[in-house]
Amino acid sequence: MRFVDEFRDAELGRALAGEILASVEPGRHYKIMEVCGGHTHSIYKYGLDDLLPANVELVHGPGCPVCVIPMGRVDDGIALARQPGVIFTCFGDMMRIPGSDGSLLDAKARGADVRMVYSPLDALRIAKGNPDREVVFYAIGFETTAPSTALTLKRAKAEGLTNFSVMCNHVTIVPPLRALLESPDLRLDGFVGPGHVSTVVGARPFEFVCADYGKPLVVSGFEPLDILQGVHMILRQLAEGRCEVENQYTRVVPYEGNRRALEVMAEVFELRPHFEWRGLGFISHSGLKLSGAYADLDAEERWPVPGVRVADPKACQCGEVLKGVIKPFECKVFGTACTPERPIGTCMVSSEGACAAYYNFGRFAREREVV
Amino acid sequence: MTGPGDCADLNHCITCGDEAVPMRVLAIDETRGLGLCEDPDGARCTVELALVDARPGDDVLVHAGTAIA
Repeated sequence: MRFVDEFRDAELGRALAGEILASVEPGRHYKIMEVCGGHTHSIYKYGLDDLLPANVELVHGPGCPVCVIPMGRVDDGIALARQPGVIFTCFGDMMRIPGSDGSLLDAKARGADVRMVYSPLDALRIAKGNPDREVVFYAIGFETTAPSTALTLKRAKAEGLTNFSVMCNHVTIVPPLRALLESPDLRLDGFVGPGHVSTVVGARPFEFVCADYGKPLVVSGFEPLDILQGVHMILRQLAEGRCEVENQYTRVVPYEGNRRALEVMAEVFELRPHFEWRGLGFISHSGLKLSGAYADLDAEERWPVPGVRVADPKACQCGEVLKGVIKPFECKVFGTACTPERPIGTCMVSSEGACAAYYNFGRFAREREVV
Repeated sequence: MTGPGDCADLNHCITCGDEAVPMRVLAIDETRGLGLCEDPDGARCTVELALVDARPGDDVLVHAGTAIA
């Protein structure tokens, strides 16, 4: 397919890897964070890590939306799913995220009507087909997904649907990035910026990474050559002493984003004062809720939710993985007590989670490979 | 269950991340603002087209049922 096959060319990939090798300074260690879970998945799916010089380390950021949902919000969702007459809809991976007393899948096994959907539009369709039931859509995701929820809410309002509501867990990418940059645990040299979030918000919101923290950021696509070229552009900036936001993914990302998407989000959502992120704690103005005009479609306004903060299981080190402090295989339960079939932590659930990517593509221990 | 973005497929999950799938617009229902789109494997689904200017035959990038580019 156009714009896909060209970016999977193995020969070009090897040539790009050679250029990357030529652009690094021997003896210097480079730490580059890919913010997005989609990048993490592609890096391990295509073995891109193995093409990079040993002194270029990729660190995985908090860009998997399923992974950053805290246990308390899962419990809140389950509480809604258990309400009489409710059909609770959510994306597939969300169903397996453990809460303090099981997952949504467990709640389904215990009798709750929990259904997987591929889009908010599917949830709306279920609401139309079940006028005597209340249908709740559990919305998660960054700015990539938020416009889809916003458009669906606009449709629901326009069509006068009263049995549809949304439990909003949408988050925004800039506040956690800033929190990571403020963290004393990390010393990063640059960022591979999120491709599809940037399709919506554009590249401009990331200018603070350069202006305030002096780190280069290159918005990149998700095919193997996209990511390699993104890494190369970061290394080239470092070699030339430049620090800019660059856009490798120009075939999809306009620098100013998608104006229509931004407008519909501004109409339907407003920022929460603070929102809890797994592993990162509470971050100010990082989560979205429905705006006043859409409050009648807010599930949290229709039913009470526990809203209790729940600590992660002690054995789980998803927090450190999400901050890039440790590699997945350094977690004590990785691949033993915590597997994709029986996950303890969120990072093992979604295919975009760093732990699942390492597990599924055989990166059980980097050290062993080097030896 | 199969379909675009099936989470059982380890290679792809459009429903839960910053991930999107290129699809081709086959037909557009102008009154509802929805399009029938097809992914590279031939799977078809209804897609919200309100955020893009698309016509039948165009390629769009679809995330969670909405074309974002």
